[in-house]
Amino acid sequence: MILKSTFFVVLNFVAVVLLAQTTPWEVPADRSAKLSTAAFTDQNRNTGKDLYQTNCKSCHGDPGKNNVIKLVPPPPDPATTQLQQNSDGSLHYKISEGRGAMPAFKNIMSSADIWNVISYLRSYNKDYRQLLAVKPAYGGEVFDKVDLKLTADPTHNAIVAQLTGLKGSLVKPIAGLEVKLFAKRYFGNLMVDKPMDTDTEGKALFSYPKNLPGDASGKVSLIAQLSNEELFGLVRTESTMAIGLPTDRPPLNEPRALWNVVQKTPIWLLVTYLASVLIVWGFIVLALLKLRAIFKLGE
Amino acid sequence: MASEVNTKFLQDKRLDRIASDILRPVGVDRSFLIWMSSLSMLLFVCLYAYYIQLDKGLIVTGMRDYVSWGMYISNFVFFVATSLVGMLISSVLGMMGYKWVKPIGRIAEIIAVAFSAVAGIVIVSDMGRPERLAYVFMFGRIQSPILWDVTVVVTYMTLSILLYIFTMIPDMAISRGRIGHTPVWLQKTYEFLSFNFQHKPEQYKILLKAVRILLIMIVPTAFAIHTVTSWLFAVTTRPGWDSTIFGPYFLTGAFVAGSAAVIILMFVVRNSYKLSRYITVELFDKMGKLLFLVSIVYFYFNLNEYLVPAYKMKTFEARHIIELFVGEHAFMFWSVQLLGLIIPMILLLFKSMRKPVPMFIIAIVVLIASWFKRLLIVVPTMEAPFLPKQNVPDAWMLYHPTIVESAITVGTITMAVMIISVLMKLFPVIPIWEIAEEESAHPDQHPVE
Ligand code: HEC
Repeated sequence: MILKSTFFVVLNFVAVVLLAQTTPWEVPADRSAKLSTAAFTDQNRNTGKDLYQTNCKSCHGDPGKNNVIKLVPPPPDPATTQLQQNSDGSLHYKISEGRGAMPAFKNIMSSADIWNVISYLRSYNKDYRQLLAVKPAYGGEVFDKVDLKLTADPTHNAIVAQLTGLKGSLVKPIAGLEVKLFAKRYFGNLMVDKPMDTDTEGKALFSYPKNLPGDASGKVSLIAQLSNEELFGLVRTESTMAIGLPTDRPPLNEPRALWNVVQKTPIWLLVTYLASVLIVWGFIVLALLKLRAIFKLGE
Repeated sequence: MASEVNTKFLQDKRLDRIASDILRPVGVDRSFLIWMSSLSMLLFVCLYAYYIQLDKGLIVTGMRDYVSWGMYISNFVFFVATSLVGMLISSVLGMMGYKWVKPIGRIAEIIAVAFSAVAGIVIVSDMGRPERLAYVFMFGRIQSPILWDVTVVVTYMTLSILLYIFTMIPDMAISRGRIGHTPVWLQKTYEFLSFNFQHKPEQYKILLKAVRILLIMIVPTAFAIHTVTSWLFAVTTRPGWDSTIFGPYFLTGAFVAGSAAVIILMFVVRNSYKLSRYITVELFDKMGKLLFLVSIVYFYFNLNEYLVPAYKMKTFEARHIIELFVGEHAFMFWSVQLLGLIIPMILLLFKSMRKPVPMFIIAIVVLIASWFKRLLIVVPTMEAPFLPKQNVPDAWMLYHPTIVESAITVGTITMAVMIISVLMKLFPVIPIWEIAEEESAHPDQHPVE
């Protein structure tokens, strides 16, 4: 018994020492050197704060209050040096990729939003001075606005994404950039075709399968997005088109089922439950009526 | 219960003796006041523990993410289980015509009332936000065994209370003019609870009919209450709970706990109330045999419940079995099986062990063991989820009940003891009219004195 408990104490000690020395989180050099192209503004910080509250606070707590959730290894409080010593790029990498209990956010937030969260995290570091990435220019051209538009070409089973830049009254097609097309599904987005580069007319051509399931009237919600977020920020467009197969499936929660809401109780169960309750309580009421009869007889 | 009452017992001289014997201890005396104030003090301390829990939330218990059912739910199962004996003694044995259960029918009913009422309170102790109890009725789903459980607990409690009151009506009427030694408010209560009963034959006829209805209704309800409680576990796929025999396994276990509770109260009534004339040595012998019978049935279900998975040793079941047989919970497991089941069964085979004192000791051990048995049903399974436990502090891995939690549990037991004390001390604990009727029907066996 004593031997056993000593053994466990030693084991525990070893475990604690091992855990305390969790392997350092390696970040590839190119990723740790990465910087945001945009200067952090108050607006970035506010967006970042909101994102932090919904996505991070449950584990990392309120910055500076050290009320983090008890996990092993623990998620650091954002105000600590452990977190702040990371370069901007390292933060971006760690938040994007995750490790262990720290979720990967690359499929949950856009890269721009991750930068917004970082700008919020940095507001708890007085010594932080932001370094900006040199903004990669597109062939030396600067636009006021970049536009992505989707049109359907059902006869060829094709969707065309048109990328244009606007400068004053000038409208110019943007060539040679990668665009991705997705169809919105229940849980996440389904990529349609491969990522495509825009041609000299600024057009990327996607072909979609004929049997792509749509809603009851065959409508599909499509999302097109410019892969490179650093050139012009997030360029993205959504549009709903009748290119899919009409599918009229009843919603999953339509039928009566054990797992459904109370209004969708299976009939057999409803009847059994109500009948049992009514019968037993009916007899209880009957017994009480007899009590009344006894009382009356005694008067 | 006979279908007709021969009211000639009312003229029998024996009635006076029986009534004065049974009504003598009734009333508020010094020792009762001291007993009740000690219990109240204990309850007060436990209520303070509950205040702490209300204030801070369930974090003051030992329950964490993995073990979210601990001592409270085990305690709940224990309370529901023990309360079932009311149905076993009054309904099943009584309706089968066993006359020997007459003197203890009311004791069994008292246990049923107290334990089912407190069972409802125990469930609330497991809620961090008790004010949301109403949500069960507002948003409850008929598909959920939890709603069934709430329904049957309430129904069983109602039936038990009614049965207790109904079978006491003639006694309340008999007690008129015989309880001058008790406080006026108690006499008024008796008057109220006699519901104008004048011992008219028609009144007896209606009363017997009403009691019969209740006795019959309480059988399926009692089966339902504990089967549904077992389903709270058995409808999951978790090792240790995923069992098709959980209903009968719980039910037979309930009879063991309940019979033990009845024996304990019988001993108290016999000695403190000096009612050994009615709670006889033979009655202990009979209850000893009953305890043996229910124990051996329960033993049989235990054998099935543990041997079958232990033979197959499926991955997750095996982990559970090993935890119980040789692991973390082995000491408690074997203590409970030996002290609460196997040794009592062997002892009860001997007539000398079915005497009041040894029976009293055996019953106490059995009842305590049956409390721990419920803990063994609830906690080990919770500690062994299917997915590995990762990235959490050590304190979450295993369940260690806290002082606050234990105090609240002691509080619920105190409450049950208080209800039992009040019912036993302020009302006739043995049915006067049933005994008197029995004795006057068999005058040769019961000399006038
Ligand atoms: C499910 C809990 C959880 C959530 C939600 C979570 N984190 Fe983490 N985070 C962790 C854990 C645990 C670690 C430590 C991981 C390790 O060191 O292996 C961590 C580590 C980190 C690190 C690395 C710190 C270092 O030591 O270099 C950063 C940065 C970080 N989290 C940011 C975030 C941000 C931003 C969010 C919200 C978008 C977030 N986390 C959401 C649990 C979480």
